[in-house]
Amino acid sequence: MREREFDIVIVGSGAGGGTMAKELAPLCAAGRRIAVLEWGAKLREEEYTGREVDMAGKLYFDSGGTFTRDRTMTLAYGRAYGGSTVVYTGTSLTMPEEVVRRWDVPGLAHADLHARSLKYLAENNVHLLPEEEQNDNNRLFLSGCRALGYQVEQFPINVKGCKSSSLCNLGCPNQAKQGTHRVQLPRAEAAGVEVITNCRVTRIGERCCDAVVANPSWGEPSKWEPGEYRVRAKVVVVAAGGAVNSPALLLRSGLGQGLPMLGRSITLHPALILVGEHDRPITNFHGHPKSYYCDQFWKSDGFLLETCMYFPFVTAKNLIGFGAEHSELMRAFPRLQMILVLALDAALPSNRTTVDRDGEPVVDYTLTDHVLDSLHASMKASARVFFAAGAKRVHAPAGTSFFIDAADVARIDEKIPRENVTPGKISITSAHLMGGCGMGRDPSDSVTDGWGRVPGVPWLFVADSSLFPQCSEINPYVTVMALADRVAEGIRANAGELLA
Amino acid sequence: MKSLTVGKAEFLRVLAARIVPEIGALDAAGWVRFEAIVDDALQERTDAVRRQFGVFLGVLRWAPVARYGARFDAMAPGRQDAVLRWFEDCPLSLLRKGFWGLKAMVFMGYYGQPETHGLIGYRARFDGREGLRARA
Repeated sequence: MREREFDIVIVGSGAGGGTMAKELAPLCAAGRRIAVLEWGAKLREEEYTGREVDMAGKLYFDSGGTFTRDRTMTLAYGRAYGGSTVVYTGTSLTMPEEVVRRWDVPGLAHADLHARSLKYLAENNVHLLPEEEQNDNNRLFLSGCRALGYQVEQFPINVKGCKSSSLCNLGCPNQAKQGTHRVQLPRAEAAGVEVITNCRVTRIGERCCDAVVANPSWGEPSKWEPGEYRVRAKVVVVAAGGAVNSPALLLRSGLGQGLPMLGRSITLHPALILVGEHDRPITNFHGHPKSYYCDQFWKSDGFLLETCMYFPFVTAKNLIGFGAEHSELMRAFPRLQMILVLALDAALPSNRTTVDRDGEPVVDYTLTDHVLDSLHASMKASARVFFAAGAKRVHAPAGTSFFIDAADVARIDEKIPRENVTPGKISITSAHLMGGCGMGRDPSDSVTDGWGRVPGVPWLFVADSSLFPQCSEINPYVTVMALADRVAEGIRANAGELLA
Repeated sequence: MKSLTVGKAEFLRVLAARIVPEIGALDAAGWVRFEAIVDDALQERTDAVRRQFGVFLGVLRWAPVARYGARFDAMAPGRQDAVLRWFEDCPLSLLRKGFWGLKAMVFMGYYGQPETHGLIGYRARFDGREGLRARA
């Protein structure tokens, strides 16, 4: 086993790890050595092909289809230089004050989180897409919501030089999306941080990590030779591998004994994709896929509606049924409008990340009646939006028939019955994985404090979405960055002591 | 296919053509692409998942004997579809989830091929600005 030595080792390079790397990078000028160990590869620019299966295999764990233990949901999370920021759509929202209050983390104030979030909105070139750059898929959502009197807002997004490829979730082929792979990591590297890709951390020990470097058949080769490494961290280790891998890493490392909440209370924003068909072609696969969201039902029914546009396989997978009707709808692709639904799920201790006998992560997640009720209500709301936007028919996963015609708009309640919301039949997915190392008061209710510190383990910090004690109720990446910024400040503030 | 026996791979073709009718019209190259995508996806999964997928194909093939007195691949297409619908709505969640997994594999094998995108009118491009303006 080869050995390497750094002062600070950051595990993961996504919204949390990338932010930590950039924020701690100034310490390199004082001679401190910082490493980021990233499981995934750094793709060459020409490897961003926009091909669905190809990119999913290169940029996501399990090609974006990691099962929960009971296989009623699949999870999509990134594995690359830049983590999930390579594959999100770049929607950049800041946490509502009432959600921060609900989190009730001692010392974590909305004003602090908001100020840090604004810093990243500026850093990532976040802005509203001009109307002339929005496509019909988004405009129709806006008009449908407005016709119904639903509250609708525009998403700020973090793009620079967007060429309307619509391929955000497959890694932008035009380098437009301002993820950590484009912004924070290059800055950190320029300041002296070493980013080691294709490097899987298998275990954390006392101020060290065990890691394995193995190059896949894509991407730039790792800066380190393939093989096993012990990477010493003289000062701190920062776990920033995300809501599945950070808790799993800590559990695998035997850190669960004093932390009964480790891995627990994950939330996923369970999601559905719904489809409406228009009688004329619309612009949908040209243009940014996500310009608007509707929070009309945020408080009353626990769900959000967002515009979205997915690719042929993901679209096909999210439709119920098969055969001629299914094919007919797929052939209507240029006429399809899509809506993504996010259910706002409660943080239940029984929903958790564990590790199996081989140390691999396993996510236990139960779709509660409350979540299924939200998904049911969201399907009906989406159907109404589609029809209000002029769709001739709608496909709802819980529909009594494959298509619901516009003539039946008054019968939506009857056409989409609650008893048809059947886990295991309907495709329910998650791209917002949160919790598992939640912040809180003490180990009886949490894993970390409001600065990402792990009680009793002074050299260990957490800085990713696993910190969330409950779901964020919005798209979470800006909040992850704001929290990582705070964790980095805590480390810097104590640098004299920690680095002594 | 590395992940399935020859017999199960052949049966998967029968199922695939019921799930996506256009699959029946795939040429030899299309089938090679279909099988490569499905095989890669299965190879990416654990041994247990691959094994379960193979077992589920066996269940689908033989379960109709009890109800209809014939194997799935010996039944008329309409009856095959009825069996598949039963699995999709099955009260036993294990079978429902198995069918969901089968559908996902078939859809990936077909719609995951860029060569099929023209048939459904999907034409995303790296530079979509012209397409956006054309219909604006």
